[in-house]
Amino acid sequence: MKTKEEIKNIELEIRQFLYSVMDPEVELNIVDLGLIYSITYDGDKKVHIEMTFSTPACPLGEVIVMNVKQSINNKFPDFEIDVQIVFDPPWSPDLISEKGKTLLGM
Amino acid sequence: MNRLQTDNAPSLSVVIPPFIFGALSFFALSVLIILAGTDLLGPYFNGRILAITHLAVLGWGTMIIFGALYQLIPVVFEVALFSEKLAKTTTGLFALSIILLAYSFWTDAFSTLLLYTASLMFIALLLFIINILVSKKNGKRNIQSRFIAAAVYWLFLTALLGWLISLNFRYNFFSQVHLHYLKIHAHLGFVGWFILLIIGVSSTLLPMFFISHKLNEKKLVAAFYLINGGLGLLVLDWFFLTGTFLVYLYWLIIAAGLFFYFAYIAESYKKRLRKELDIGMKFTVVSIVILLVPIFVSLLVLQGSIFEYTFLQRLATFYGFSLIFGLITSIILGQTLKTLPFIIWLHKYKQFVGKFKTPMPKDLYSEKIGRLQLITYFTAIIILTAALLLNNSGLLMLGSYALFFAAFLYNINVFKIIFHKTKTEKL
Repeated sequence: MKTKEEIKNIELEIRQFLYSVMDPEVELNIVDLGLIYSITYDGDKKVHIEMTFSTPACPLGEVIVMNVKQSINNKFPDFEIDVQIVFDPPWSPDLISEKGKTLLGM
Repeated sequence: MNRLQTDNAPSLSVVIPPFIFGALSFFALSVLIILAGTDLLGPYFNGRILAITHLAVLGWGTMIIFGALYQLIPVVFEVALFSEKLAKTTTGLFALSIILLAYSFWTDAFSTLLLYTASLMFIALLLFIINILVSKKNGKRNIQSRFIAAAVYWLFLTALLGWLISLNFRYNFFSQVHLHYLKIHAHLGFVGWFILLIIGVSSTLLPMFFISHKLNEKKLVAAFYLINGGLGLLVLDWFFLTGTFLVYLYWLIIAAGLFFYFAYIAESYKKRLRKELDIGMKFTVVSIVILLVPIFVSLLVLQGSIFEYTFLQRLATFYGFSLIFGLITSIILGQTLKTLPFIIWLHKYKQFVGKFKTPMPKDLYSEKIGRLQLITYFTAIIILTAALLLNNSGLLMLGSYALFFAAFLYNINVFKIIFHKTKTEKL
């Protein structure tokens, strides 16, 4: 079992991987877009991610979720990743990071 | 976990054939416009204009809408399409009936072949209507889905009246002349089917592509009641009272509804996060603004008697032209470049995401060809507008060739997207 600090570091590392996952329509990564609500690592092999989409009817939802899982499995092949999609709170442009706003030309 | 919309996405064999038939119809229709020549400047109740109009609204507009709608049902209704088999049967029957219908009009076979082809068309449209309404029954209810359902009901009335007109050519049971019913048939189709459907779909897609949030949907609710109410009253008046002075009031009601829709789209545009619009969205925004033209021209046509008769005929042709080429065609040209690349991209690259570097949906078509198409298309529309209003055959020929070139460019991009070869690179 890992220490609290090791768990925290892995969660941060996972967040870093998610910067490589793009929303193909917006052309911005999902972290800067504010789609990731939480990342929880259990210290063993389970990762729980709570995220949302920019619209509940997002036609690219499945692709984004697959990409999230794959990008983590590329580094941690034996991790079991559970992605939960939530719409409460709903996504809003206020969740976009400052860097994201610059990239979108806001 | 919430169900993802891509879980409900239909197979490619349901969505792509309508796009192929639609693109080829656009090309064929641009050829027919060249062949029809100065017939386009004469009275609009003539076989050639009717062949071109029906190929445009059915083979081009409606067929592409069918393809797009099969893909969009999961997005708007949040359920899968009721039956893929029914959708494929519809496409086959519909395609066959469009070819036969255009041929019947072009060869002036009004009292012979037309009846059979119109019957086949009616069956094909019924199959589509059943598929959409059953899908909607299990789906999410919101203002956008109500627009789409209403459009489908109006499509039924359009198809029914079209079929009755074809019957009347042989059995002659209507009390008024054909032109009177043709006017009702056209407005059921243009306002009831196309405009309501475009509103339903665009009010879902545009905020999604603009990435705009917290929009006032009350504007759409007002648009829904005003347009449906105004159109219902107009059609009843024309049908049973053969047109009273109240048609100006109905015009005002429908126009007010459309302005609520404009206000909703304008709000979405102002609140958009994506400041830079791609070529598909530029086409779309322009096409919505162009909707102002037929609103204004319809008012002029209503004034009828103040114009000289031959000019009024051309004005009526221009009214139909502004709806087909101003609104319907330009919105399809734009939205094809938004939806088709996404559909193909999803099919080709879904399994590679995260494992390989993949292109983006917009990399599947040539933006350069898209820009050239935009310039050529709007040049063609401006020249053809001048040709119709000024009764100038030279301009008509020039505009027809420009339109042909625009249709050719559109087909290049469509087939480039459809036949895209999968390309991946290591991460």
